[in-house]
Amino acid sequence: MASTTTPPRRKPPSRASVAVNYPLDWLEERSGLVGGTKYFLFRKVPGDINWMQTLGSATLTAFLIQLLTGVILAMYYKPDPNSAYASIVHITNDVTLGWLVRGMHKWGASMFIILMFLHMGRVFLFGAYKYPRELNWIVGALLIPIGLFEGFTGYLLPWDQTAYWATVVGININGTAPFLGPFIAQFLQGGAEIGPDTLSRFYSLHMLLLPGAIIGLIVLHLYLVVRLGVSSPPWSKDAAGMERPDDVQRGNGRAGLTRPTRRGGDV
Amino acid sequence: MATGVDRRRAEFKRYKEDVQSRGKPFFPFAMWHDTVMSLVVVVITIALAAIWYFDSGEDPEDVGILGPRYTAEADPGTTSFVPRPDWFFFFLFYLLRIFKWPESVILGTVGIPTLCLILLLALPFLDVRAERRIIRRPVALVAGVLVIISMGVLTYKGATAEEGISTSGDVVEQWMTEGNLPPEARKGAELVAESGCLNCHTYRGVGSPNLGAPDLTEIGAQDQGKDYFHRYVANPRDFGNNVMPVYQSLGDENLDAIAAFLDASRNP
Repeated sequence: MASTTTPPRRKPPSRASVAVNYPLDWLEERSGLVGGTKYFLFRKVPGDINWMQTLGSATLTAFLIQLLTGVILAMYYKPDPNSAYASIVHITNDVTLGWLVRGMHKWGASMFIILMFLHMGRVFLFGAYKYPRELNWIVGALLIPIGLFEGFTGYLLPWDQTAYWATVVGININGTAPFLGPFIAQFLQGGAEIGPDTLSRFYSLHMLLLPGAIIGLIVLHLYLVVRLGVSSPPWSKDAAGMERPDDVQRGNGRAGLTRPTRRGGDV
Repeated sequence: MATGVDRRRAEFKRYKEDVQSRGKPFFPFAMWHDTVMSLVVVVITIALAAIWYFDSGEDPEDVGILGPRYTAEADPGTTSFVPRPDWFFFFLFYLLRIFKWPESVILGTVGIPTLCLILLLALPFLDVRAERRIIRRPVALVAGVLVIISMGVLTYKGATAEEGISTSGDVVEQWMTEGNLPPEARKGAELVAESGCLNCHTYRGVGSPNLGAPDLTEIGAQDQGKDYFHRYVANPRDFGNNVMPVYQSLGDENLDAIAAFLDASRNP
């Protein structure tokens, strides 16, 4: 390698920096994860990005709140009609900070859904779903019904009157769909009536299948964001990618590479 | 002679060059904004949880400004609970009330939501112009504003929809006299008046017709018999009805009373 033929002239690294770098180098050599993280953190974004463009990461934060509080709730919740309601009452009133965990999960669901819609509105306003970001719009649009279905399945779990009767109606609405409707209703219900089987189905969907699908789609969503970059606000005077008047005059010379201070200077 | 595809590719190439030469690193520039916004989200969520908890009590009846901690335990045999979905389904909930007749109810439950979802997914292929400024995208602007208004109106209407038809004894009294019902129909009449039946069915003008449920005023006129109504209400699935809930858990005594009431409902 190059280092063996031409030894570096710099001072040899201190013991401290070796101690810090060794595990990082070890990890990098075997996985490339360090370089990947550096690329993620230090990749360039347009300098004119807007506060509205934080709505996506805000939605992610709301989802992470749901993951964290959901894992804690699952430690105390009992998905069985005979004890579900009692476990919810116990979590809310007796468990240390249980009210906070359940409250954050309950209200975080609404935050997640509101932020998802606001984020979608921002992308629509910016026209940021256009070439080459069409696929990312589709991934995001799939997250909306899945997120709503996550809300629907979670609503039953407290097993109180509100939960029970909202689910009765929701399942019956599914039943009105042509062809597949009755099968979907039957699948969700797991029996003639809403009971133990329904609760365990909703529990499984709510904490395994749907969050798994959401996580997978979010990873794909973020991969595409990093790969394709974030778009400038369309009204920006200096939007990345816009055609600039100089382009035509200067032929191949790219105005974007010229610093504003040099304009009209040595050209 | 640049085609549309070439132009778009050239623009994206220019975008990447601009970002490389004039952009700022994600960390710390953009990440700072993201962190501030994320903290706002966390703080609002904690604040909502705290207001919800400290303004309500252990008793389900002790409702705070953000609602109760929980309502009473689920009871499939209950006869007086008005179903309501979570707030973000209000728009769907109200959409169902717009389509009342058996022929069109499917538009509200399946047709319109499916169409909206397809349009949403297909948006990048329906709007292929390169223009991104909203002022120069009149169709997108109008469509976007219409979607926001209709979702807002549907959510508001769903939130304020007339629910839980007042179930005073007067209604039952009125039914008994107007319909010339026998005394043994009274208990069933009370059950129908108090329970969720009138959220979808109507009886002598009382109730809110939804999901294509029929008017019950003359439901007994075809002489199908009490046993038929008992079995139908207990499990509508046996009769090919996948919309109406199963009411087996009301118990035979209540089902008999309701069946007697329905069977006696023959007079216009």
